[in-house]
Amino acid sequence: MIQIIVYGVITGAFYGLAAVGLSLVFGVMKHLNIAHGSFLMIGGFVSFWLFHLFKIDPFVSIPLAMIILFVLGGVLYKGLFSHLDKLPEGLKINNSMLVGFGLTWILDNLAILFWTSDVRAVTPSYTGKVWNPLTGLRIPIVGLGVIGIALLVIFSLYLLLTKTYFGKSVRGTAQDRDAASLVGINVERTYLVFFALGAALAGIAGVVSAVNYSVHPTVGFEWLLKAIIILVLAGFGKVGPVFVAGLLLGIVEGISVYFVGTTYREVVGLVIFILVMLKRSM
Amino acid sequence: MLEVNEIDVYRGDIRVLWSVSLKVEEGTITALLGSNAAGKTSLLMSISGLIKPMRGSIRFNGMEITKEPAHRIVEIGMSMVPEGRRLFPEMSVLENLELGAFLKKARNAKDRAIEEIYEIFPILKSRATQMAGTLSGGEQQMLAIGRALMSRPKLLLIDELSLGLAPLVLQHIAEIIKEINVSRGLTIFIVEQNALMTLEMAQFGYLIENGRIVGSGETNSLLQNEQIKNAYFGI
Repeated sequence: MIQIIVYGVITGAFYGLAAVGLSLVFGVMKHLNIAHGSFLMIGGFVSFWLFHLFKIDPFVSIPLAMIILFVLGGVLYKGLFSHLDKLPEGLKINNSMLVGFGLTWILDNLAILFWTSDVRAVTPSYTGKVWNPLTGLRIPIVGLGVIGIALLVIFSLYLLLTKTYFGKSVRGTAQDRDAASLVGINVERTYLVFFALGAALAGIAGVVSAVNYSVHPTVGFEWLLKAIIILVLAGFGKVGPVFVAGLLLGIVEGISVYFVGTTYREVVGLVIFILVMLKRSM
Repeated sequence: MLEVNEIDVYRGDIRVLWSVSLKVEEGTITALLGSNAAGKTSLLMSISGLIKPMRGSIRFNGMEITKEPAHRIVEIGMSMVPEGRRLFPEMSVLENLELGAFLKKARNAKDRAIEEIYEIFPILKSRATQMAGTLSGGEQQMLAIGRALMSRPKLLLIDELSLGLAPLVLQHIAEIIKEINVSRGLTIFIVEQNALMTLEMAQFGYLIENGRIVGSGETNSLLQNEQIKNAYFGI
C-alpha cells in the first residue's frame, strides 16, 4: 500500500507540474489554453533531442526547454491570443479554447511531420534505478527528481507571485485590470510575459514527462485532460491547490490500479471530474 | 496644467460626451459637477487613458496625451482615484500601496511614500496586513487615495469621492484632501454628484449635463447662481 502511495505521489507531482501553467494563465488572464498540452509535448521533444543528439541530461535540459517554450509562448500569444483580450470574460474563455484547439491541431501535426509519430523516451543512465530506503519499498530515482522539480517550482512561483513587483502586478491585473493600468502597470506586456511563463512551465512538465514516461506528438492531449481535471478540482490561479489536487488524483489513480486494474485507471479520474462538476453546479 | 479641448467620446455606439472642453489650473482644486450618467466618469476615463475620444485633444503641461495608454498617463504625472475605489480586494493594504508605486521612479522612494501615506491616514497603518476587500467604505476610499498618491502625481483625479460614504467620514476625507492640496501643492480635479460639499472644497467648477458642459466659473459665483441652486441644492 505504501508502495502504491509512493508511486501516486510521483505521478501527482507530475500532474501538478502539468497543470500549474494552465491554471495560472486561466486564473490571471482567462485564457483557457487548450494548446498547453502541445506546449508540454514540445518541451518533451526538446529534452529528447538534446539527450539523443548531445547526451544532455534531461534535468539539465529543463532551463533550455523553458527558454524555448517561453519564446514560443510569447510569439503565439502576441500572434493569436492577444487579440482576444478585449472581449468580455465569457467570450474570451470560449474563443481562447477554440484558438487553443486549432493550435493543438497544428502543433501536433507539425510534430508528426518533423519527428514522426514514434514514441520516444529519454533514458539517462539512472532510468529504472531505484532507491530502497526500507525493505520492500522502491522509490525510482527519476521519481525523486520529479518530486524535487515540483517542490522547486512551487517554491519559485510562491516567491515570484508574492515577493516580486512582477508577481504583484500579475495578481493586481488578475483582480482588476483597469485598476492595474491606473497604477501604471502595462497590462498588455504583463499578459505577454505571463502567458510565456505559462508555456515555460509546460516546458518543465514536458521534460519531466519525457523522462518519467515517454513523448510522442499527440501525448499533449492526454496530459491536457489530466490538467483540466485538476483545474476543476483545485480551482484556478493558485499554486498550492493545484499540487494538492495533482497529488490527490495521482494517489487515487494509483490505488484504483490496485483494485480495478490499469485499463480503468483513466476512468477514475474522469469519474472524479464528473462528480466535482455535479457538486459544483448544485 | 490640464487642458481638454472639444472632445467627443463614445461608449460603444452611444455618444456620451459632446465637444467637452475644460481646464484645470496648476495648484487648484477644480470640480466637475453633474448628475448620474451626465458623462463625468467617461470624461475622467478619457483623461486617464482608459477610453479614447473620437475627436478633440487632451493636453497635460502642454504635452499631447490624447492617444497615450493608461499606464503611460500615470508616468506622465496623473493619477486617478477611480469610481468605487477599484482596490485590489485580495491583496493587503500594504500591497495595494506598493502597487501604487509600481513605476520605477516611484519604486525607489516607496518606503518613504508609504510612511507619508500612513501619516495622512493613520488608520491604514493599523490595517496594513488586512485584505483591502475587508475594509470599511471610508477606509477603502482612504486607501484608494493613498494608492493614487504613491506614484507622486502632479495632478490627482478623483471620481465620486462621496460614493457610499457616511457624511462624517466624507467630511473628514474632504478636509484631508484640501490639506494635501495646500501642503503639497498638489493639483486636484474632482468629479462629483455631491455639489455642495464639492463647491466648498474647490476654487473652480464646471457643470456637465447630458454630456455637455453647461456652465463654469469660480465656485463662489457658482454657489450664488440661482439656476444652480435650483438644480443641485433644491433650495
